[in-house]
Amino acid sequence: MAPPAPPTGLRAVCLVVALICLVSPAGAQLIPIKTIPIAQGDQFQIFPANNLGMGSASIALADSLADPFANPAMGTRLTGSRFFGSPTLYSVSRNAGGGRSLPFAVLARRAAWYGGLALALQQVDPSRPPQPDGLFGIGVAVPNAVPPVAVDPSPIPGPDLRAHGNGYAFAMVGRDLPGTRTSIAASALWTGLHALDGVDLLYAGSQRVAQNGHALDLRLGAVTAWPGERGDRTLEALVLHNDFAATHTVTYADTYWDPGVEAFRQRARIEHNVDQTQTWGLHFKYTVPFTAAGWRIGWIGTLNRSSHPKIPNYELGNVPAIPRDPGYTTAFDFGIGVSKARGLATFGADLIYEPIRSYTWADASEPMSTASGDTLAVGAKTIENHFHFSNAVLRLGAGRDIELPGGGKLFGLQLGLMLRSVHYNLSQQDNVQDLQRRLTTGWMEWTPTWGLSLRFPEFEIRYAGRATHGAGRPQATFSPVTWAGRDVALAGGTILAAPNGPLNLTNVNTTTHQISLSLPLR
Amino acid sequence: MTRHVRTLCILAVLGLAACDDPNPIEGVPESLDAQLRRQFTQWNIVPIGQSPVQDPAMVALGRALMFDKILSGDRDISCATCHDPAQHLGDGLALAVGTGGSGSGPARTLGAGRAFVPRNAPTLLNSSIGMPYIFWDGRLTRFGPPPPPPNVLLPATTSLLAAQAMLPVLNRREMRGEKGDVDVFGNPNELAQLDDTQATAIWQGVMQRLVAVPGYVTLFRAAFPSIPASSLRFQDMATAISAFQTDALMKTGSPFDRYLARDNNALSVEAKRGGVLFFGEARCSQCHNGPFLGGQDFANSGVPQIGPGVGQAAPLDKGRGELLDFQFYQFAFRVPPLRNVELTAPYFHNGSLATLEAVVKHYNDVTTSLRTFDPSTLPASLRDSYHGDAATINAVLASLDGRLQAPLHLTDAQIADLVAFLKSLTDPAARDLTAITPASVPSGLPVR
Repeated sequence: MAPPAPPTGLRAVCLVVALICLVSPAGAQLIPIKTIPIAQGDQFQIFPANNLGMGSASIALADSLADPFANPAMGTRLTGSRFFGSPTLYSVSRNAGGGRSLPFAVLARRAAWYGGLALALQQVDPSRPPQPDGLFGIGVAVPNAVPPVAVDPSPIPGPDLRAHGNGYAFAMVGRDLPGTRTSIAASALWTGLHALDGVDLLYAGSQRVAQNGHALDLRLGAVTAWPGERGDRTLEALVLHNDFAATHTVTYADTYWDPGVEAFRQRARIEHNVDQTQTWGLHFKYTVPFTAAGWRIGWIGTLNRSSHPKIPNYELGNVPAIPRDPGYTTAFDFGIGVSKARGLATFGADLIYEPIRSYTWADASEPMSTASGDTLAVGAKTIENHFHFSNAVLRLGAGRDIELPGGGKLFGLQLGLMLRSVHYNLSQQDNVQDLQRRLTTGWMEWTPTWGLSLRFPEFEIRYAGRATHGAGRPQATFSPVTWAGRDVALAGGTILAAPNGPLNLTNVNTTTHQISLSLPLR
Repeated sequence: MTRHVRTLCILAVLGLAACDDPNPIEGVPESLDAQLRRQFTQWNIVPIGQSPVQDPAMVALGRALMFDKILSGDRDISCATCHDPAQHLGDGLALAVGTGGSGSGPARTLGAGRAFVPRNAPTLLNSSIGMPYIFWDGRLTRFGPPPPPPNVLLPATTSLLAAQAMLPVLNRREMRGEKGDVDVFGNPNELAQLDDTQATAIWQGVMQRLVAVPGYVTLFRAAFPSIPASSLRFQDMATAISAFQTDALMKTGSPFDRYLARDNNALSVEAKRGGVLFFGEARCSQCHNGPFLGGQDFANSGVPQIGPGVGQAAPLDKGRGELLDFQFYQFAFRVPPLRNVELTAPYFHNGSLATLEAVVKHYNDVTTSLRTFDPSTLPASLRDSYHGDAATINAVLASLDGRLQAPLHLTDAQIADLVAFLKSLTDPAARDLTAITPASVPSGLPVR
């Protein structure tokens, strides 16, 4: 194992390939992938959720607010029309980033039809290397910049410290099938992206990164229920397609020696990195009551198949190491959950096992000689990365409502915990050096959650928060220890990265606060 | 339910205590590319930019001057005799053969009664790259004194390179000749008659020769249209030579340079392995660093002492120690830049090692290499001038650079990889430079 962390909290990490996954706002059923403990901003926690304060337990525990955004057919449970607003903000500790979102949603039902619309605007702060703790570390912005030298011939744009905005538009429509207890629905979520949290840090040494892209998430869901003595048994099914495409226009300031002036100078270099990923997903969930005391048990099975036809040239530590990789990933979720809802108390727990297989490679752009004297033809694979993940997720939480005087008024408390254990084996075949490298590693992230709610007949107001620990962010890029990262794909919510060098990570925590307001529409 | 809440609280507290600093990830070895590029950052290895565009008229004048033997007292040697394009702008000799010699390249031999120039003629490839020190002892520097040689005060010039071009014509052994010499036409060598202290008169004498040649008058007029022929100075001539060097002799298109320009496929696996050694275990980069892979430092590399020697230490050559009487400068010489090093054998300040393999093996164990140096590897004409006595070797080792005192214990395979890396520093365009040699020069003297 690597040496113990120094007192500063810096950790040197050696990796060959990294995969990072960002979840989308309709995040369920898109399986997150991550091979380095990089802290991600909680950018996609936008839509309201009942169970956010309960560790987001969701297999056997229904979430009347969040479920329709994950599986549109769950809109069948709407009993009326409601308006939601859920302003959300998150921050990464050590002044390393943050963002704010303001979503509005309307979910409505008319006879057998139901549907919803949601819009969200979001502002994401530029990601920065973590600042030192303490008084003198407050508010110091250190952009991705190399030490200053003379600039030639034209000015190089400085770091972009402005926040950038994203837009989200969600629509769903569904129908209960007559004569059955089955409902089908479809949803679409379009995202206009100009700021993905953390992407700036993945281009170490860059002056600025301009992001421009979109994501389209299409879902077709169905749910059916069978009544029973202890309650309904339900089966949910979902097919999803997520298409992600973005361009990162990265401006670097490259240092070079100018013989004309006999001095070091800098010149701008602009790279346009295209990032594309398509994901197909299939998801089933079955829940059944198993005691008369309010206990339910549920199972989920999820399959994601992602292809990454184009991966951007991320650089961490200003070290381009491996050419861009295409690749594909197959990910599964097998989970079991239990819940109990009795009276004003609620409890839920999920346990999920996530086996993931990912294969990425680099193509030879020109004939390459190998260490053994062979020649790799154009298009031959120079490096092949095989990941085998065995991840696990534990989510549990409890809530208690307290009746307030006056009738129909409830005050709720929630507490929960999410644990995500990542463990993977990597086998990397370097066909140029004729070497095979192996890595077995893992770590754990944990996220305590909490929530408060006030429910009145006229409206409901909720506050929920969570703080994720156990991850970090790259240090300032001029650190002598750098991460030789490259080959990263941002994939419909997923980032694939293939770094192979030491990485300085500083521990940071990501804290999210969401206040949601729900009003019935008469 | 209260029990559940209590359980959650306990879990949260335990988690806070246990997970504040998560276990770091175990890593795998970096790829060669990742190692190399990290090492580049560590050693300040950056790409070389384009040379400034030069005035074509100035370049044409400089080219003619560099190849014209009229600059030498006896009219028998030009700059290009020792900086021969056919020899990659060196001469292929261990120690240079100055005026009075005959032949060219490695076949060049001493004239009767002449002595070797005490040091190797360094290549002029990339001489205009902007190095802070020129000459093996770094006596010409942009960092101020010491001036070259002690009794000469250089006039202001446009660059360090131009200043350098003013010095060989002053040196009797290199270009000026000895008192009493006659030139190739049998005429007295008027430049050699002047005292060594009369640098200005020597330069004026050379200029008088030049302005007497109609071809040069035309070239000077084109290069310096605002300066009448009578007002031309020797430093103008030197400026023209430096312009030619800047225009024609910069060769920075090696595979290594392409690799620096982000082409990971530019280097072979062997060269990459050698590069990782160069910047790491083999410790080469402790001296050969920065944009030129050297040129900015001095080191006593434990090089065998051969040749006539320099200054008061003769027959030894104390290098920079002859100029600055510090212990760490004794037998120390400028760390040469390494681009195109494959083409510029033999190596070291006195050409005592003939191949790159020999150089790397020398660095593998400097002390042993010096103590066991075989003078039979030297050219026959220099074997007798090898100073292999114990006192000399001990004197050299007494100030051996601290970075070289511990053996490296490199294997033969590692040495081969290092040599592969050194060969990756070669610009293919530098392999054949004969095209820059003009067919004739304005004086009508033979170019070869």
